[in-house]
Amino acid sequence: MDYIIDGFFKAIQLLTSFDQEVYGIIILSLLVSSTATLISSTFSIPLGIYLGAKEFKGKRIFSRLLFTSMSVPSVIVGLVVAILLARRGPFGSLQLLFTPQAMIIAQTLLVIPLCLGLTFNLSRTRGKEIKEMGITMGGSKINTLFLMIRELKMDILINIVTTFSRAISEVGAVMIVGGNIKNDTRVITTSIAMFNSMGDYPTAIALGLVLLLLSFIVNSLIYNYNQGG
Amino acid sequence: MEIQLNAIKKAYGERLVLDIDHYGIEKGQIMGIVGPNGAGKTTLLRILAGLDHDYEGHVTYDGQELNRAIQKKMTLVFQKPYLFHRSVYENIAYPLKIRKTPKEKIKVKVEEILNNLEITSLKQQNARSLSGGESQKVSLARALVFEPRLLLLDEPTSNIDPLSLEILEREIIRYNRKSCASVIIVTHSMEQAERLCDKIIYMNNGKVIK
Repeated sequence: MDYIIDGFFKAIQLLTSFDQEVYGIIILSLLVSSTATLISSTFSIPLGIYLGAKEFKGKRIFSRLLFTSMSVPSVIVGLVVAILLARRGPFGSLQLLFTPQAMIIAQTLLVIPLCLGLTFNLSRTRGKEIKEMGITMGGSKINTLFLMIRELKMDILINIVTTFSRAISEVGAVMIVGGNIKNDTRVITTSIAMFNSMGDYPTAIALGLVLLLLSFIVNSLIYNYNQGG
Repeated sequence: MEIQLNAIKKAYGERLVLDIDHYGIEKGQIMGIVGPNGAGKTTLLRILAGLDHDYEGHVTYDGQELNRAIQKKMTLVFQKPYLFHRSVYENIAYPLKIRKTPKEKIKVKVEEILNNLEITSLKQQNARSLSGGESQKVSLARALVFEPRLLLLDEPTSNIDPLSLEILEREIIRYNRKSCASVIIVTHSMEQAERLCDKIIYMNNGKVIK
């Protein structure tokens, strides 16, 4: 039991002493997951809003496939991206495997179905009346799309946070395509797994605390914004 | 705006909910549509508003099929209005903003309509916090502010207090007389139809009876 308590105090020490390796890992994690969230949200939110409110043939099948793809295991995504980016793969000449860029690609592909699915469902259930209101006000398709995004912004923001949480907490895809290389592609989740297997509990706990803290900060910001709005 | 309905048929599966052979709605009139639940009144209004395209037949507006220009000249006030998560002022200003009306003109027009509907005191209030009657007044104000040539009203006065009812009816009549716009109102109340309308049609089982 002592080693857990000891680990906890050492973790606090590591964080307060601004350990270079630990902070390098945190910054890279934030950079990779934020970029993946930004790319996937930019693509998924307008598309999800549009498709959710639109009636089209095969919408039910589309939504089933979309919801299924939301739960694709991250190691599968990592494997596919690794095969595509491998030296002998179709994109091997780009030499992206085991780089942060590869990790961004993998996380983006992993979270697109989640962000798209959540936004699609939101638009399908709550977007219709806003869309109809936009049409009856004489708005163009673009006006109506912006109106829907603005009216659903709080729920969209929650979708973005959920997407970010999924991205920053996943381990399988970034481990495969990043390789967990020190000072290069090592992120919080892959480090926790590695430090745990090495028996370095203080560092693993420190990084675990950072993950929890990030989650707390992001959710608090959303909560405050919601109260204010 | 003059409207012609030609061979309109609308079905949900096997059930025919609208079946109008031919009907013309004259320009500048207030026309009331009354009838029991399921008569097809709201369905007809949704088709006229361009919200439902899944039907047979043709609707023409001043001789033209529905297009973007016509859509911009008409509006529908719903029975349960959707108000944006913004102030009353911003809700009413919205249709003018998307028409790129200058800010000063927007201010004048919104102030005028707020005054007409006796809701000036609600101007800065969040529209989502209003009562049923207040919401309907804001919804009507938002519809009238851009001076549509065709105003469609789907039971706009159901479940509201008598004073609000009087104000809404007064403003509908005033707008029609001032602008000569066509107004079509769906209502359950024959008394209201008689108070407001120049012409009343009765619908049942998807057909115009008289």
